[in-house]
Amino acid sequence: MPIRPILSALLRNKTGAVLLVLQIAITMAVIVNAAFIVSQRLAKMNRDPGFDVPNMIAFQSWGFGADYNHEVAVKEDTDYLASLPGVLGVTTTASLPLSNSGSANTFAATGEEFDEAGADTPEIVANTYVMNEQVLDALGVELVAGRTFYPEEVSYRTPQHSSFAPSVIMTRDLAIETYGTEDALGKTLYDGLGNPAEVVGIIENMQGAWVDWDDLTHVLLMPGIAAGPFLRYIVRVEPGRRDEVMRVIEETLPARNSERMIRRIQPFTEIVARSYRRDHSMTILLIATVIMLVSITSLGIIGLASFAVRQRTKQIGTRRAIGATRRDILGYFMVENWLVTTGGVLLGALLTVAVNMWLVDAYSLEKLDWAYIPAGVLILWVLGQLAVLVPAIRASGIAPAIATRTV
Amino acid sequence: MFLYNLRLAIKSIRRNLSLSVLMVAAIGIGIGACMTVVTVYYMMSGDPIPHKSDRLFAVQLNNWEAPGPFDQDRPERLPELLTYQDAMNLMESDIPTRKLAMHASGLTLDPANPDINPMLTTTLFTTTDFFAMFDLPFQYGGAWDESADSSAAEVAVISRSLNETVFGGENSVGERISLDNREFLIIGVLDHWEPVPRFYSAHNNAFGETDDAFIPLSVNATWEKQNFGNTNCWGDSPIDSYAAFLGSECVWIEYWVELDTAAQQDRYLSYLAAYISEQKRLGRFPIADASAEIHDVNDWLVYNEVVNPDFRVLLGLAIMFLVVCLINTVALLLAKFSANAPRVGLRRALGASKATIFKQNLVEVGLIGLGGGMLGLLLARLGLQGVKAVNLGQYDQLVRMDQTLVIAALLVSVVAALIAGLYPTWRICQVPPATYLKTQ
Amino acid sequence: MLSMQHISKVYRTELVETHALRDFSLEVNDGEFVAVTGPSGSGKTTFLNIAGLLESFTSGTYVLDGLDVSGLNDNERSRIRNQKIGFIFQSFNLIPDLDLFDNVDVPLRYRGLKAADRKERIHNALETVGLASRMKHLPAQLSGGQQQRVAIARALAGDPHFLLADEPTGNLDSLMARQVLDLLQEINEKGTTIIMVTHDAELARRAHRNVQVLDGQVTDLEAPDSHPLTVAVDNDAADNLSAGA
Repeated sequence: MPIRPILSALLRNKTGAVLLVLQIAITMAVIVNAAFIVSQRLAKMNRDPGFDVPNMIAFQSWGFGADYNHEVAVKEDTDYLASLPGVLGVTTTASLPLSNSGSANTFAATGEEFDEAGADTPEIVANTYVMNEQVLDALGVELVAGRTFYPEEVSYRTPQHSSFAPSVIMTRDLAIETYGTEDALGKTLYDGLGNPAEVVGIIENMQGAWVDWDDLTHVLLMPGIAAGPFLRYIVRVEPGRRDEVMRVIEETLPARNSERMIRRIQPFTEIVARSYRRDHSMTILLIATVIMLVSITSLGIIGLASFAVRQRTKQIGTRRAIGATRRDILGYFMVENWLVTTGGVLLGALLTVAVNMWLVDAYSLEKLDWAYIPAGVLILWVLGQLAVLVPAIRASGIAPAIATRTV
Repeated sequence: MFLYNLRLAIKSIRRNLSLSVLMVAAIGIGIGACMTVVTVYYMMSGDPIPHKSDRLFAVQLNNWEAPGPFDQDRPERLPELLTYQDAMNLMESDIPTRKLAMHASGLTLDPANPDINPMLTTTLFTTTDFFAMFDLPFQYGGAWDESADSSAAEVAVISRSLNETVFGGENSVGERISLDNREFLIIGVLDHWEPVPRFYSAHNNAFGETDDAFIPLSVNATWEKQNFGNTNCWGDSPIDSYAAFLGSECVWIEYWVELDTAAQQDRYLSYLAAYISEQKRLGRFPIADASAEIHDVNDWLVYNEVVNPDFRVLLGLAIMFLVVCLINTVALLLAKFSANAPRVGLRRALGASKATIFKQNLVEVGLIGLGGGMLGLLLARLGLQGVKAVNLGQYDQLVRMDQTLVIAALLVSVVAALIAGLYPTWRICQVPPATYLKTQ
Repeated sequence: MLSMQHISKVYRTELVETHALRDFSLEVNDGEFVAVTGPSGSGKTTFLNIAGLLESFTSGTYVLDGLDVSGLNDNERSRIRNQKIGFIFQSFNLIPDLDLFDNVDVPLRYRGLKAADRKERIHNALETVGLASRMKHLPAQLSGGQQQRVAIARALAGDPHFLLADEPTGNLDSLMARQVLDLLQEINEKGTTIIMVTHDAELARRAHRNVQVLDGQVTDLEAPDSHPLTVAVDNDAADNLSAGA
């Protein structure tokens, strides 16, 4: 298919071609950047939480009655929950991991830091969770060294307290951050007031409270139970039994003690979904944008090509009359579209990078992976060819006899 | 002549119906996508209390100390909240027209009616000026007065929705409710009140629901109910009791003042500076350039970044989307008008001036724009339902279109279509009258 | 009264300059029926376009009803076309999706006449061409001859001084052509000046005067004896024949 005559025909109708080129360029810039953001968000949402999200249940307990005895209530509820068939572990906690709510504290590897200005040990920030001795089973985290808490280490803690903890368990990431090595078992960790605690366990991985936080995997587990009257429970069950156990909890637990209120019994997956809802919604809205934009651009190409075919019916008939094959006519429209699309994607590549630079600059999004650009080019080429196919086939079906018909 | 043009426009639209439909669809989808994002963005960045947003100020004091600033990534920022002791001290100043301190908590309500299960009420511990300062509407009763603040009276103002749940919407002033096993006398029932964004507690959840109950802050000085909002602490003295917590350097109290004049604002800022120097002498406010800041409502919303940056990105992309749709429309209009050239040539020969032809085609373009705008509104409604669905309740209050937005959408689409139509219309007017008369 | 003196029209493209008219001079008096003939490409249509103010010219002077039109802008030219000139085209150029009434209405609309006035004119014009009963028909429902009569009605409705016809019978069979020509003659007899471009010498003979164009110039003015008028020449004919020399 000779390109030159098609090109010169295009150049004669410059405005139309330029508009299509612009449209394709902007389309490319939007869909490539959107696809990139989507892939980033998906990667973020698919990070390994380190604990057994699908098989966990969480709820709140609020003691309010005049005769409410926190310690008795917690002991009874914990034991009852642990006794339910299918339950692997139960722990109390003040806040839930991956719930976008929680607490973080500062720690150090040596005790002197807060006494001496300019101490060279960096201050470490970690998400803290106060949980009981069933913590490892209740979360389903993987212990790589050491042990879980002893029951005697688990004591009631008021929000206002000055002691640290008899022992702590930390994630491997936190151990490396704090001591420069994952081999932190037996080392001493100091809290903000300089109180020491021994590291008795290292877990492979666990994500903390805030999904957008850089130090998400810096998690420190401490033995204890919140002094109440408000706390949360985490219950982990055998795979496949979550809904069944949740129903049992809903039906039986509230009635066991009328002095406290059980609220928001929900699968842990819901809690995590809520925390990621911004990312989730961004992903869906971007995908919707891409789909709509692609349809608009395709419809535009189809519309323009159909119109051109209708306007050029006689001309096409004449071409057929003087010997052009159906393939020639088909090819003409396909090549014409390919030329325009190519112009569009060339400009589009520049625009894509520019839009990405704006996003990086204004919203500190990540820099575009260059491989997305050729992928975008390819997609738009295919898209253009598909869009022009229908009108091109219609054009190739025009009868040569049209040429001799008047008006 | 307008009606005549309108008739011609309708004829012309019907002549190339599929192309016209395509143009209406292009504009409609572009406007729909744009308006969906714009609506959410507009509501997010809206002024929740426009008649006095420039007179209400959130107060910040920099009581923080090393190691490191309060916000490691943005060291210029002060803590958003105050310590309890600073809040109490600032209540002494009579420079502001009104002033309030507050923090949120969760209390369990045990209804007297056994048919209603105990429920959690989000409760704001605050001071008397809260109601007048933020213009809360009352359905029944009213706010407590200063004496209730100073005597830690066990009184409560409840929201309209809580009143409906517990008292079936009856006037419950004078009734008592049990919150966390303590009896409170209801002295006021609010009417519907839902500022969007919720400018107070903006640092926490700017698009959350408003609170169920309001209780004097002084009640919690001894009740020891845990703060629901953020609590940030520094310092090396142990906090082993609630009294120690109240006297600590933990920031957790939100503080607002109403300053009606610029002079008042200046005086208040000098007062705060003096307060810091005074506290420095007492050994507090350790950093050298410890300062105070006040932000009015709209500043405060920006400071707390209540606008989800994702929606700025989406807004940018949606605008590019609209541009694509408009370019599409320009191209389609050019095609359509070029097919109309013989007709235009004839009308020109019969005495139509360029201006007449221009107007006639512009009416057609405007009509297409209006169609696109209406389709766009419809799509925006669907889009907003979509946004609501994918945000799991987070933005329920943001997905409403008010009159301004509806009118704006229609206006934008007609104007956009006219702009898109301007060039093709101008081009068609350049058709030399003689060109197409001979051939057909 | 139409007077063209030394008109020339040059079309320029990047490659060539074409002289469509050169030193073209012609005068047409009120009430005349002039046929302009010439072979294809001689400049007949260019002459008609210039005469009808559809195109501008390169040099020369053109005075229409005492008004020098060379200095007029586009709007003024549109107005004069609308008020003084009626056009009849070979391919009728009716608007297919407007009915006869609306087609005749088009130029009246641009003149901004009152609705009642327009209605009356449209009615009279269609009456004149014998199609008043078909006002609500679309052009496609008519024969070619009828369509051309609608086009004539459209031209007449505005009460033009000049009727410019470009091969008005070119698309018609001989019977219909004769009817159209009869109609034109009738109109001319009521006082409208008609200038008709045609390549058909037979038709041209029914005009008062023939002007032949060759290579963009008026070549000769036919003497009445060499091309005797076939129909009765009215009392003005003698004057007309001597004009434009």
